[in-house]
Amino acid sequence: MDDRILIIMTSGPDTPRRCATPFFMATIAAAMDYDVTMFFTIDGSLLLKKGLADTIFPKEGGRAAGGYLQDALDAGVKFKACTASMELHGLTAEDLIDNVDMVGGASMWEMADGATSVVSF
Amino acid sequence: MAIIQGCNIPDDLFYMTEKHVWAKPLDGGKIRVGMTTAAVKLAGGQFLAVTPKRKALNQELAQGKSMATVESSKFVGPVPAPVSGTLLAVNEAVASDPSLVASDPYGEGWIAEIQANQWDAEKGSLASGPEGIEAYRAKIEADGVNCAE
Repeated sequence: MDDRILIIMTSGPDTPRRCATPFFMATIAAAMDYDVTMFFTIDGSLLLKKGLADTIFPKEGGRAAGGYLQDALDAGVKFKACTASMELHGLTAEDLIDNVDMVGGASMWEMADGATSVVSF
Repeated sequence: MAIIQGCNIPDDLFYMTEKHVWAKPLDGGKIRVGMTTAAVKLAGGQFLAVTPKRKALNQELAQGKSMATVESSKFVGPVPAPVSGTLLAVNEAVASDPSLVASDPYGEGWIAEIQANQWDAEKGSLASGPEGIEAYRAKIEADGVNCAE
């Protein structure tokens, strides 16, 4: 099995400049044949709200965060949303883009335990 | 050489059209691999980084597994093995000077070489000849790539 990488994404709409690189790094890792999962918690979960990432611009006049997010999905990166942070933001499964699993906090520890590298943004 | 949407596409190579990768059989079952001019265009005219998968050198790779990664501000992607085999060499020249991929994509800008172990069985999965060029034309057009722009 390919080595697993876990990226914990805590940044959200309040910090646009932090909303491209994590997806970019995830896409690169997938291109290197790592098995990559992004776990979205704290403000990161907001990026999974339908349409929201398309309104965030890490660079003024540049590409929206939604483009980087889609690149990661297209590359095969798995998206997991933290149920507690969803509750924090008043989000339900219906509010999220497709291809996102909702998982509890214990799943984060299981994923971290099984990963060769864990990076938090 | 075919010209597709302004992109130079040699008609004597094999292509993984989905990934814009070319493959050229050399002597002794060795296959040289690189990225096409259409890939360079998709990347915004140049790659900023080419990172060979050095830890896979001398290892067996299945068809489709990554041999290197290419990056630009617009594009990130793998350079997949077009056929199964042993990763023989990576081009350190492009690792230190990624602009070679844009300036000479089918020559000095090659990325890796693989010793194919199932060439006869797998070459049919690659696009080649007049039909292959037409298949690649469809892909380039579908991606909206125009090297002349």
